[in-house]
Amino acid sequence: MPDGPDHELELTSPLVPLFVITNGRALPPDHEYEHTTLVMAAQDAAASARTLSPEAGQVVALVTEGFLSVAEVAGHTHLPLGIVRILLAQLEEDNLILVRRPIPRAERVDRELVSAVLEGLKNRFGA
Amino acid sequence: MKQDALVWCMVAVTAIAVAAVVALAARNRALGAKKQQSEAELRRQLHTSDSHLHLSRAELQRFRSEQDGTLREAKEAAEENTKAVLKGAASFLQSLAAEQTTLLDGVQRKYGGHAVLSDLLEVNHANAQMARKAQGIAVMCGAPLGRRNRPASVYDVVRSAQGQIRNFHRVSVMQQTALALKASAVAPVALAVAELLDNAASFSQQDAPIEVTFQRAQNNLCIVIDDAGVGMNDEDRQRATELLSGDVVPRLSQLGNQPKFGFPVIGLIARQYGFRVDVTGVSRYGGVRAVVLLPEELWTMEETPPAQEAPVSSILRAEGRSQSGTARTTHGLPKRGARQAPVASVPGQVATPPETPAPERTGRSSGRSLGAFQRGTLSGRNLDTTSPEGSEDA
Repeated sequence: MPDGPDHELELTSPLVPLFVITNGRALPPDHEYEHTTLVMAAQDAAASARTLSPEAGQVVALVTEGFLSVAEVAGHTHLPLGIVRILLAQLEEDNLILVRRPIPRAERVDRELVSAVLEGLKNRFGA
Repeated sequence: MKQDALVWCMVAVTAIAVAAVVALAARNRALGAKKQQSEAELRRQLHTSDSHLHLSRAELQRFRSEQDGTLREAKEAAEENTKAVLKGAASFLQSLAAEQTTLLDGVQRKYGGHAVLSDLLEVNHANAQMARKAQGIAVMCGAPLGRRNRPASVYDVVRSAQGQIRNFHRVSVMQQTALALKASAVAPVALAVAELLDNAASFSQQDAPIEVTFQRAQNNLCIVIDDAGVGMNDEDRQRATELLSGDVVPRLSQLGNQPKFGFPVIGLIARQYGFRVDVTGVSRYGGVRAVVLLPEELWTMEETPPAQEAPVSSILRAEGRSQSGTARTTHGLPKRGARQAPVASVPGQVATPPETPAPERTGRSSGRSLGAFQRGTLSGRNLDTTSPEGSEDA
């Protein structure tokens, strides 16, 4: 692997590992911050944003002007979606952001009921 | 007659006495001569034995020093051999760890939205600790430390070091500073700080905080690490100072079964890269205050642009291209508003006014898409876009 006896290795990985950025916080469940969940900075977020880590501060700065989706935040910060979710969870816990979750998907329909309806329709109109 | 006999008697007695005295004197003289002779003999013998002894002693000394020299040489040779073997292995480990870190980073970005990310983060943490150990062994064996080719803020360097120890969440960096370390200093300072943090973490309670602050003193930039652990006694302190100065480098064989090469490693790299580390201070929690003193050759006042760190540039490019077309917030984000042309269309920043008549002929939507198509082909061919109508009419 090394070319010569004293070949100096070049370190190309990002300097600050992602788990330090999140400070070891666990990933929130997926449905907490979906791609389309909208987030916006709270009224007084800018003042306390200075004490945040640079990445969390960047997220707050991004959403200061208005609602932005989680996917967009991830795109602009160049951070993986999961990392953005962890940061958002932290920010929401500190009451620094407002989160507007999308309308939840309809509950999975009862299969039996649907087949009964289909059966009824078939009987009535012929199939 | 009687008197005569008495005189003769006395003469005889005197004669006998004189003879005895003479005989005794002669004997005495002989004895003295003999004694002197034997004394001289003995002295001579003593002298020879003395010189023999001296010779033997010198020889013994010579042998002993020769033996010591040979032993020392053998030890040094063994040390060198061990180092050479370990150096190869450590370099190999080091490059593997670095490769794995890069790979893991890629995987983390690839599966960033997946639940597997949390496991990946843990794997990365374990890997970062392994990489630090490999770096430490490499330094002890005289192998080069890996290098970074980009300057970084001292804050990020400390965070990088933070990631290399087990209980990293105990570390809090109290200030953010824009002062940047030069590229050549990034890797060695990160390793030194990581070893100090590891030391602070292992000599204090499980949940005790470790605080990192920055301070500028004259031309030096200081990274100050305060722990709340047990302090050091004078002996420890003296030993630590010796090791950290890089003057005393313990042999690999002296490091013991559970090698502690934190301080020797710091000493070696500090000497190599020209910074100083001091652990004799007392922190405000009564633990150890470690200070990394960076001379001005290693850092600059310039800020490092944080945006450059991001590896992805496609989003930036897209932003730049449509900069003049759409309304933007103060932060450069596209503003949401009334629905405009399809997002995927080629932005028509230059040629919007001349194409407005076209939609009247073909209807709004088809005209728009045709216009977009044309703008696309034109911008693709890099032609002047001021006369799209001409070609359409022809």
